[in-house]
Amino acid sequence: MAIETDVLVVGAGPAGLSAAIALKRGGFKGRVVVLDKGKSPGSHVLSGCIIDPSGFKGVLTDEEVAKLPVEAHANKESFRAILSKNCSMKIPWVPPMMHSKGYPVASLTKVVGAMAKIAVAEGVELCTGYAVVELIEENGRVVGARTGEKGVDKNGARKSNYLPSEEIRAKHVVLAEGGCGILTEKLIKAKGLQGVRPQSYALGVKELVEVPAKEGSGGTVMHTFGYPADMRTYGGGFVYHVSDSQVMVGYAYALDYRKSEVDIHRLFRRFKATKAVQEHIAGGKSVAYGAKVIPEGGFYSVPKPYAPGVLIVGDGAGLLDSLRIKGIHIAMQSGAAAAKAIIEGGEDVGARYFELLKATSGWKEMKRVRNVRAPFSTWMPIGVASAGLAWVTFGKIPPFRMGGLELGDAAETRPCTAAKVEAEAKDDPPASPTSPDRLTDVFMSGTIHDEDQPCHLKIGDRAKCAECMEKFRAPCTRFCPAEVYRLDEGKLEVDFSNCLHCKTCAIKCPMRNIEWTFPQGGDGPRYTRM
Amino acid sequence: MHVVVCVKQVPDTTNVRINPETNTLMREGVESIMNPFDEYALEQALELKDKCGARVSVISMGPPQATAVLRESLARGADDAALVSSRAFGGADTLATSYTISMAIRKVCGGVPDLVLFGKQAIDGDTAQVGPGVSEFLDATLVTYAKSIEVKDGGFEVVSVMDDGEHTVAGKFPAVVTVLKEASVPRFAPLAGTLTAAKAPIAVLDEKALGCDPGQIGLKGSPTKVVTIFPPPVKGGGKKITASGDDAAKAILEMLSEKGILAK
Repeated sequence: MAIETDVLVVGAGPAGLSAAIALKRGGFKGRVVVLDKGKSPGSHVLSGCIIDPSGFKGVLTDEEVAKLPVEAHANKESFRAILSKNCSMKIPWVPPMMHSKGYPVASLTKVVGAMAKIAVAEGVELCTGYAVVELIEENGRVVGARTGEKGVDKNGARKSNYLPSEEIRAKHVVLAEGGCGILTEKLIKAKGLQGVRPQSYALGVKELVEVPAKEGSGGTVMHTFGYPADMRTYGGGFVYHVSDSQVMVGYAYALDYRKSEVDIHRLFRRFKATKAVQEHIAGGKSVAYGAKVIPEGGFYSVPKPYAPGVLIVGDGAGLLDSLRIKGIHIAMQSGAAAAKAIIEGGEDVGARYFELLKATSGWKEMKRVRNVRAPFSTWMPIGVASAGLAWVTFGKIPPFRMGGLELGDAAETRPCTAAKVEAEAKDDPPASPTSPDRLTDVFMSGTIHDEDQPCHLKIGDRAKCAECMEKFRAPCTRFCPAEVYRLDEGKLEVDFSNCLHCKTCAIKCPMRNIEWTFPQGGDGPRYTRM
Repeated sequence: MHVVVCVKQVPDTTNVRINPETNTLMREGVESIMNPFDEYALEQALELKDKCGARVSVISMGPPQATAVLRESLARGADDAALVSSRAFGGADTLATSYTISMAIRKVCGGVPDLVLFGKQAIDGDTAQVGPGVSEFLDATLVTYAKSIEVKDGGFEVVSVMDDGEHTVAGKFPAVVTVLKEASVPRFAPLAGTLTAAKAPIAVLDEKALGCDPGQIGLKGSPTKVVTIFPPPVKGGGKKITASGDDAAKAILEMLSEKGILAK
């Protein structure tokens, strides 16, 4: 028998929980069920960690915001261009819109954990450990969803603890899956909801580094661009002191990068080895790790965020300010907008949601910087110039859409040779407490999958892998931040248990030969401090 | 048939880290889970429910947040749950805990039920004493380390795994059985069950509700005195002898005589 609810929210991140909380606080009398595939609220949530607080408005009360698990607020902020390992330059002036002074610097995993408690106290029915693997459609309208089965062995046979898939019927489904959501992407394709151009992602990798306590260092934040990225790839790093003894260090690298030989985890290690970063983390120890994709395409990559019976919110809809690389606040605003549209209950809830979304401050920011991201894929100085122009003219110049990013991330990959791969692997920074190797990082992510289940990363055609090996030298073995893909005597092996659920492989495989499907609910990373 | 399962909420030790300076647990980000061995006990009870329609009650003793493990049990199929919780129970050792839980079982069941199940031990204290303690207070038959439980001829037949081999023990109810990992694979909670369990009423029983003797609960009822707490000493690496055959035997002999274990 199907479970009946009024609203089903898929994903308990900032967007999904904001929708659920705003529904209850807006007087919605119906049942609100929120499901998440992570083991606990926040298990699969990761962010840069500076939160633009404008998103809390209309979702949490000021008192609740004050009580969030936040230890520091951005106070000393700097922007640096890193030119090489030992050389960097402070940017003397940046537009005020890029400043984050006074913003909370905190683990989003923890903030989402606190939001989950607030949601439950409001009467939201939140269940974690359940993957929603399929939407149910009737007569062109989404009417519910199905959870994933559990207890299936690696050959697909049912184990003694087999749990069948369950059906949930809902009047409204809110998709809050995060970047490159699997159901969301399928829906966008099936319903033709694509934006003007395909979504373009960046892979963000991040560590929490424990450093010797230094009084007053909490709240110090540094944003960087440049080395070790090349001039044609949108890449940048950050160093955020979340407390006097804890630093978040992260690096984001745009997935429209061309050089197939690049290894993103290695870039991250090179970034951490720079003088500019070492000043902050020397003598420390990395203790936690995570990775996720960031939908960077911006305004022109946003799909029509609704279809009959379903609304798309947050990162899944590509709602991100691609200049500041901030999306949490827009995610929350979109959740609140979805809630409002559902409460109003008009004829076309989807259209009303989009209207409300367009009225948010986050959407206006996205529009203003709509021409920032694409030029960065040509040559970095052009990108910087467009960013400046967007700010000075409030996004009015250029009045047209600047080219770039039309092909999608996978298609940008250029062929490479074995010699190039070898050369790229040369100057690896030595392993150290602040520069663990990739597998040590995977261990620190806490990721775990029941290994007696079908591999959730489906390789389509093995012949294509052979072709890729010749042409691109298996870039999956280098872009995956969790060492899921490795070559064993020329054959591609998939260690799915390492997976961090970032979806980079589904996005960047140049042959588009990897399908990301849902592993058993509750599996995956167990972030506690990301 | 009425089966009671006693479950405990414990820190998830797979994620616990030790502060190297103070040698204490770093609890930041450490989740609480159902004691893994209790999951096997619960599964045994639920299988008895599937097979012979037993009523399954779940009891936990602990702080208010321990209701999480009770809700998880209800979600998997238990019929009712009760939390034994009061400040007066604080500081209880295994004797006082056994007494308190036995009083709770009597209260929930209106007497002594047919079967009470425990995990073989809790992963936080590792004492394995509360199950046997409860059997004494209930004056019920005790079987420990069970890998299977069957109902036969109105009584039980349990296979118990001991150091000297497996014992098949048959007897009459009431009984207390502690369960091993080998017993079964715990089932998953269906979503429908989880949603219902989240709203299910859970009785909270304190010392008054249970009619406890104040001298037998909490710190007062605990004869165990903790003198000091220390982590086990770090074991040094052993010596490895890589030689083979006669040479290895010689090396071992030499080592044993050096240590004075064998006379020269």
